[in-house]
Amino acid sequence: MNISGPNELLENVINRNLCTGCGACVDLCPYFKSYRGKTTMLFPCTLPQGRCFAYCPRLEVDLDYLSGKYFEKPYNSDPLGFYKSIVTSRASEKFTGNSFQAGGTVSAIMYFALERGYIDGAVLTGQEGILPTPRIVMNPEDVLSCGSSKYTAAPTLSAVNRAIEEGLNRIGIVSTPCQALSTAMLRANPLEEKDFTDPVGLVVGIFCTWALDFRAFEPFIASRVDINTITKTDIPPPPAEVMEVYTSDGSKLQIPLEEIRNLVPDACSYCMDMTSEFSDISVGVLEGDPGRNTLIIRTERGKMIVDEAVREGYLIVDDMPEINLEHLKWAAGNKKKKALLKAHKEGMVNNPGKDKISYIRLNNETLEEIIA
Amino acid sequence: MSYLTDNQNNDYLLMGNEAIARGALEGGVNVASGYPGTPSSEIIEALSSVAKERNLYVEWSINEKVALEVAASASFAGLRTMCVMKQNGVNVASDFLLHLASSGTRGGMVLVACDDPGALSSVNEGESRPFARLVEIPLLEPGDFQEAKDITKWAFELSEEIRNIVMIRSVTRMSHASGNVRYERLPDTNAKADFRFDGPLSDPETGPVISMVVGISELQHVPQQEKIKKAAEIFEDCPFNTYEGPEKPELLIITSSACTLYSREAISLLNVKDRVGILKLATTWPLPPRLIKKYLSVTDRILVVEEVLPILEENIKILAAEMAHEIGPKTFYGKNAGNIPSVGELNPDIVVSALSTILDVRVESVSESFVKEAAALIETGIPVRGLTMCPGCPHRASLWSIHNALEMDGRKGFVCGDIGCYVAGLWPGGFNTVKTLHSMGSGSGIAGGFGKLRQFGMDQPVLSICGDSTFFHAAMPALANAIHHKSPFTMIILDNRGAAMTGFQPHPGTPVNAMGEAVPSLDIAEICRAMGATVEIRNPFDIEETQQTLHHLIEHQEGTKVLILSQACALSPERKDNPKYRMKVDEEICIGGNCGCNRLCTRIFGCPGLLWDEEKGVSKINDIMCTGCGVCADICPAGAIKREEVAEYVG
Repeated sequence: MNISGPNELLENVINRNLCTGCGACVDLCPYFKSYRGKTTMLFPCTLPQGRCFAYCPRLEVDLDYLSGKYFEKPYNSDPLGFYKSIVTSRASEKFTGNSFQAGGTVSAIMYFALERGYIDGAVLTGQEGILPTPRIVMNPEDVLSCGSSKYTAAPTLSAVNRAIEEGLNRIGIVSTPCQALSTAMLRANPLEEKDFTDPVGLVVGIFCTWALDFRAFEPFIASRVDINTITKTDIPPPPAEVMEVYTSDGSKLQIPLEEIRNLVPDACSYCMDMTSEFSDISVGVLEGDPGRNTLIIRTERGKMIVDEAVREGYLIVDDMPEINLEHLKWAAGNKKKKALLKAHKEGMVNNPGKDKISYIRLNNETLEEIIA
Repeated sequence: MSYLTDNQNNDYLLMGNEAIARGALEGGVNVASGYPGTPSSEIIEALSSVAKERNLYVEWSINEKVALEVAASASFAGLRTMCVMKQNGVNVASDFLLHLASSGTRGGMVLVACDDPGALSSVNEGESRPFARLVEIPLLEPGDFQEAKDITKWAFELSEEIRNIVMIRSVTRMSHASGNVRYERLPDTNAKADFRFDGPLSDPETGPVISMVVGISELQHVPQQEKIKKAAEIFEDCPFNTYEGPEKPELLIITSSACTLYSREAISLLNVKDRVGILKLATTWPLPPRLIKKYLSVTDRILVVEEVLPILEENIKILAAEMAHEIGPKTFYGKNAGNIPSVGELNPDIVVSALSTILDVRVESVSESFVKEAAALIETGIPVRGLTMCPGCPHRASLWSIHNALEMDGRKGFVCGDIGCYVAGLWPGGFNTVKTLHSMGSGSGIAGGFGKLRQFGMDQPVLSICGDSTFFHAAMPALANAIHHKSPFTMIILDNRGAAMTGFQPHPGTPVNAMGEAVPSLDIAEICRAMGATVEIRNPFDIEETQQTLHHLIEHQEGTKVLILSQACALSPERKDNPKYRMKVDEEICIGGNCGCNRLCTRIFGCPGLLWDEEKGVSKINDIMCTGCGVCADICPAGAIKREEVAEYVG
């Protein structure tokens, strides 16, 4: 594998505004820090190879290698990635009274996994004001306080780095697609460290079409509503096309997504993954039904934990309507094609040799199929 | 009794600045004031050490202008008085200096300006000599250590004779080198101050002392110019202007100050004393025309040897032009002709090089093989050492937090710097944080200006830094101005509790004065609050809290804010030999050069109290250098640097 160091990361990702702010390089060392949604390098580091580069989901992402590792097949052009089954789901009545996004599936599963010891800690995204902040949660009850979607990028993976440092070795992670990808890269032990053991117990990926630039979103929202009064933000499933901002006085502000999309950083336009393909299970909204989620089960471990959660009465699942699946595939395929085409055009895919760093590497057959 | 007050005709080995202080004592000085600045500081320090014994009043003033005003008052009251500053200080004092030169003085008054050719301890090598000509006062330049004393003593008499302030100019190599000085007797110390003002305006002895009033220049400017003419007349016979060399030299060197010593040495090295003469001038403004004419007449070729600006050279050329019909055409060598460099300090080698070209004499002052060998040794044997701060310096911790907060903010915020040890913020040792650097207090003035550029689309965060002494010296008006004009920036006062850079001289914020007496100390935070700034005070050694505060201030740049980062200098009496912590590196935990650290403490943080053990690949504490501040334990990403409280620590 072609692994370089922090200077190449700085040059190829941060300076080119390709960084998604996922936090993979943050808190590995004193050099990369995240502040208000932006990752910066504080001081020059001279190492020719580093974990920052190796884990970055924007550098030398070898999709065939990762697919082989987790799904035992080379990467293919399925818009939803590899999976075993797709169902609809929601948290059971055990969780009534909690504020969740959509069906509350993610919270229910993390709660269950933590309670039953499938994971020894959960890396989630909490909030300080409207700034999403990574959290390491050890107590199932604390999962519930993180149970709402954040629409701006958060350096959640920095908490994974901290959790590993603290000695956790079955970490449960709720991640966006870029974070799931980075987690897969970390788990592959790219630097071939001798004493490496996989520290991850469960990856719950969430659907993501984009994440807003916090530094653009904050003034945008502050000009419309007093930030301190915001209790919840939500983007209801299509075809709503609005962001809803709830405030403590009980009112609800609706902002057309059209306006919001201007606040999406360019970095997101390179992302070809809508459904967090490199996770154990993926969760998203269900079109036309704000009370349920779409649940994609991808791995054996994911299946086992979902089955257990259903059997124990934490989660309720149902069949996925065909029409929803079609729409989901269309949306995911669209994102994948657009992003890969853009990256390919800009010379970021499958570059030969060590000198020219690639963003994505994948077999030519799949590449052709996706961008055709 | 101090060796400075020995009342016998003994010889003492004195530093140039001590010789100037002794000269002031022999000249019967009563009042001395100044503002610290290298290379001038030891003069006031020497005088303050004998203040009680000699019944002096000595003060470190808030700035050079006030120092000159304080000293002037004593002169107006008939006392002998001296004011001391470095070259940049004369710029500060120059406003009052111009007026003072106009009003004239009564008791002998001497301004000592110590210049720093080559800017060894300054931000520039700006000259003080042009001020003498600009404000029309006499300028004296001692050529050795005996003269440093003798000329200072004489300057008081000269001042009283012409009734105006006299300026003495020293340079680093005169002020800080040492030589033998023979003492003369000290005068009595029973002066009485008496300011007389009842006489007519036109009476310089008894009338009010005022600067020139518009429209009546004959009352003051004309008499002022008479004074300078009188000085020139006196200088014709000044014993400190000397000539050495053949009667009709092939080449005449005209020089002054430390350059006299370089010129003598060069002539001796080249063995050309039969061909070259030296006219050493102590009275470099106004030049005594008859004396100059006498020596210009003995040769056709003249080399002027002086440091920095060609002031002596140009003034001599003016005289030569005026008397050309009598002395004939001359060939001048010096800065204009390129024989002497136009910047930096001189040394004997430079004069040797100039002389060997002019006289066509070949000389190898140092053998070529030696030069090669020395160059090779420098390359292999001497470690590269960047400019940085002392071990345990609070500025390192402050600049670390400022740098990190600005980088994390990521909006290209920057720091307007100021004069103090924190100028190291320009370089990697201070994390390249400082982006403007000018004169005392200017950082905050400039930052206040930047703050108002939002109107033109400049929305970067703006910070300024200044020290506690600098705050009092010149930054207070800048802060008041910014607050009044609602300029959004944050002024960070790096309060290390004294004028640390120049050797812990007191300032209005310290509880003692130059003579060691207890005095009221002014509270910087209360001053800022009274002006209307919001003020936060943090300990820069608490990196976490300092950085959080900085984040908040940088994020919310509305209005003018002050952050005082308060921590005593590592060399201060309260911290010296009083470590709070004993530091240790746990070699098992240190990850050294590996991914995850890459030698952050020694490669980036760069405190000289930390060493890199090449063999073991770990960091270690330099126990001799470490001051036990404990900050490195907080920056170590692995937690390998441990601190243990020292039981004997006095908090």
